[in-house]
Amino acid sequence: MNRLRKCLVWDLDNTLWDGVLLEEPVSVKPEVVDVIKELDSRGILNSIASRGDERLSLSNLEKNNLKELFLVPQINWQPKSQSILKISSELNISLDAIAFIDDDEFELEQISYMLPDVLTFHAEDAKNLPTYPDFSPLEITAEAKERRKLYQAEMQRKTAEENFKSRKEFLISCRMKLTIRPMKEDDITRVLELMTRTHQLNTTGIILTKDEIKNIYQQGADGKNIYVADLEDRFGWYGIVGVAMCEADKVLWRLNYLAISCRVMGRGIEKAILITLVEKAIQNDFKSIEAEFIDTGKNKMMRGLYQMSGFVGEKNESNSDRIKFYAVKNKLARVPEWVQVL
Amino acid sequence: MLKEKQMTDIEKNLLAYIQKECLSKNSDSLPGLDDDLFDAGIVDSAGLISFLAFIEKEYHINIPDEDLLPENFKSISAITNYLSSRIYVR
Repeated sequence: MNRLRKCLVWDLDNTLWDGVLLEEPVSVKPEVVDVIKELDSRGILNSIASRGDERLSLSNLEKNNLKELFLVPQINWQPKSQSILKISSELNISLDAIAFIDDDEFELEQISYMLPDVLTFHAEDAKNLPTYPDFSPLEITAEAKERRKLYQAEMQRKTAEENFKSRKEFLISCRMKLTIRPMKEDDITRVLELMTRTHQLNTTGIILTKDEIKNIYQQGADGKNIYVADLEDRFGWYGIVGVAMCEADKVLWRLNYLAISCRVMGRGIEKAILITLVEKAIQNDFKSIEAEFIDTGKNKMMRGLYQMSGFVGEKNESNSDRIKFYAVKNKLARVPEWVQVL
Repeated sequence: MLKEKQMTDIEKNLLAYIQKECLSKNSDSLPGLDDDLFDAGIVDSAGLISFLAFIEKEYHINIPDEDLLPENFKSISAITNYLSSRIYVR
């Protein structure tokens, strides 16, 4: 029941501002704006489901410097349940991670009835929301603080792509810059988040505890056994999108774990990260490159990545879900040309 | 690129999938039959898995994971050759 909410959907008239915009001059409630900004800084997205005139409402939001705080605002004359469904699908956030706030009991009841997974709040309750557990993530990563901007950048990317005639032209135009660096202690929360949330682009599905990650980190010289990949393009910063764990043993370099955020699917980033790590190992004079794979039933993409990138697998006889991959000289794929590795 | 009538049904079918699922609405540049789909940014690890699901369903075959290799899946013609070895082409 007390699931953390990822998105709060606001009504406008008499909720965000005092008064009804189509009938009278309205004034934005400063204490509500504070709540919106506070939730935003915690990585909780704000949206709008309101009845009224879209253009007028948006221009009033703009006048008050509030427009950019809201994602995919729905201002129309449809039932609000429809608006919330649309928000859910556009942001790809499930209904049980959405909350709705309105001053009108009828609207609140209707949402509770039509969309029982959506948590509803009365506008009078607005200023208390930041104290509720539903809006209080335990830890706030750098990525969470930027979450709204990440979504906004992603929407710009989608629009931009439509203007390009070829996929490659579009990818090149994005000017992606990938940085692969040893993990720092500050990154552990985000690394943990990636391990827990990533199922498809995950080579083993293993989830470590914070202490286990710390242990591995402290064993490695200067954190050189855990790497993170940070991505940015002309639309903005993606944050840490990948984590790799590796170990070295004389001439052998082994990639034990690789997970990449599903947010960057479709751009060849997983290949760029894998190949960059392998090239680095080869430059450092490792003669034999291995990579571990455990079939989780969900991570066929990663098996495909290895096999399509020049790795050959050898099944483990005692455990058929485990495959040890070897990089084959002269067969190794290249980093996609649209990714600049820094 | 070959003229449409010179393409096999498999090639036409694979290109139709790419046009619908992998390219943006305004894109008019389909890959050539021998173009590397990965180098062209048309598929990556995620895109390949969706493409495989389409092929398996369309041709009623099961593609074993071991077969996910560049020689089988890097281009339209590679996939066509692979498929031709797996199904009877009418």
